[in-house]
Amino acid sequence: MNLIDTNVNLGPWPFTPAPDRTGLELAAHLRARGIRRALVSHLGTVFQPEPMVTNRQLFATLKRTPNLLPVPTINPALANWREQLAECLAAGPIRAVKLFPNFHNYSLASRRLDPFMAEIAKASVRLIINVRLEDERHRYFALKIKGVPLKQMDAFLARNPPHHVLFAGIYKGEVEKLAAKHANFSAEISFLEITNILEVMLRTFPARRLLLGTATPLLNTRAGADKLRCANIPAKAKALIGADNARRLFNL
Amino acid sequence: MRVIDVHTHPVFRGLNLFGEPTDLKRVIAHGRRHNIVHMIVLGDVLLYGATPNAAQLRKINDDTVKVLKARPDYFTGFIYLNPLLGEKATMAETERCLAAVPGFRGIKLEIANNAAHPAMRHVAKAARTYNLPVLQHSWSTTNIKDRKHQSDPVDTALFARRNPEVKVIMAHLTGIGFRGVLEAKGLPNLYVDTSGGYPEDYLIEFAAEHLGADHVLYGSDLPIRENSCTIGRILDTQLSAADKQKILFGNTARLLNLHLN
Repeated sequence: MNLIDTNVNLGPWPFTPAPDRTGLELAAHLRARGIRRALVSHLGTVFQPEPMVTNRQLFATLKRTPNLLPVPTINPALANWREQLAECLAAGPIRAVKLFPNFHNYSLASRRLDPFMAEIAKASVRLIINVRLEDERHRYFALKIKGVPLKQMDAFLARNPPHHVLFAGIYKGEVEKLAAKHANFSAEISFLEITNILEVMLRTFPARRLLLGTATPLLNTRAGADKLRCANIPAKAKALIGADNARRLFNL
Repeated sequence: MRVIDVHTHPVFRGLNLFGEPTDLKRVIAHGRRHNIVHMIVLGDVLLYGATPNAAQLRKINDDTVKVLKARPDYFTGFIYLNPLLGEKATMAETERCLAAVPGFRGIKLEIANNAAHPAMRHVAKAARTYNLPVLQHSWSTTNIKDRKHQSDPVDTALFARRNPEVKVIMAHLTGIGFRGVLEAKGLPNLYVDTSGGYPEDYLIEFAAEHLGADHVLYGSDLPIRENSCTIGRILDTQLSAADKQKILFGNTARLLNLHLN
């Protein structure tokens, strides 16, 4: 089965033993678990006061691994966001950029994002919004960052109807609530869980808006891939979620 | 690899994923798709909230009795208890369940009280008297600040330490976390099950390294979690095939004295 993982990160995470893999190591790790291509960001960007130092590391690390596509982080709350974006576009080609509103302390509902959205549309770059990286009930005691509030995601989608975005690390309940009002988003599946989750999701949410993501290296890679591989859903839906939607959304 | 799931709630009215009433054929078909050859049924434990009374406990356990009567080949049960109801009620409900059906092999505790509560001595007595392991819901209270009801791994380990002749399963590895594993270390009567939150990486290996693979039991928390993920994270470890088989099957079979073909 052809798999494209839309939620992979490089870099160590200070609160778990997550390894700091090289690009080649990451590619081998994913390949051994049946994942041929992946959209890759760098965990270091969430802690940096300005993401470009770590974005440069990301580009450099992935230079020799064409199947790992860099997804740099932009912090649009900083005065230099246009420079961040321009440098990433020049380093590219890139298919998407990622936001971490909760780690970078801005609201997804802010009007300050309007010019940023216009700019990435002009550049034909997709937006991935990371809702959470960890289970808030189970993590290192000193890390108190909450997931992006549902209200902000709701307001963002309402303000940006022409933009179709991907939410990564989103919960099932959040998808269901947003789906009742908006069609301009897709959901990455790493934080969707109950028994038979994909079968359950497809009763109310279309397969063409779900994308494989494993949240490697914080969550287990095979667990994420097996969620799709072992799902009791039609082969066509598996193909959409596993790769076809990513190909279409990110023009791969 | 064959799998025994030590932590399931096939009857779970909050989700009703397998129909209402629960269609056991669907549960078994689901399990078999994941090579799960046997499930341990813990009951619909939060149906009446954190502290069910005696009548409510009976209803929850009667659901389990029905499951065990219908498919004793596939399901083994744990008796759900509320220690705060006292010794008489604890012993009576244990005896009632054991008399009802031969498939009960353990005791399940949820969040009626903290595992360090003095009322736990009643549970220990029932466990000792009938040679039943005790599966205690456990979660790190670092982020969930409700120590009155939630049992931190410190509390569950204390219960195991106070009752060395009772086998204790500290539930939810991905809930007790790295700190919880270290609390459980060195207690030969204490086991952890692998259920809990999302399939965080490195925890299974950490538990096997510190507790020994013999003390780690596969559990999913069905229907709250996805079996493909909960099994996949074990298969993906660097542990030997023999250790994986122990975690997925052998340890629970041995602990509960299950003789499965």
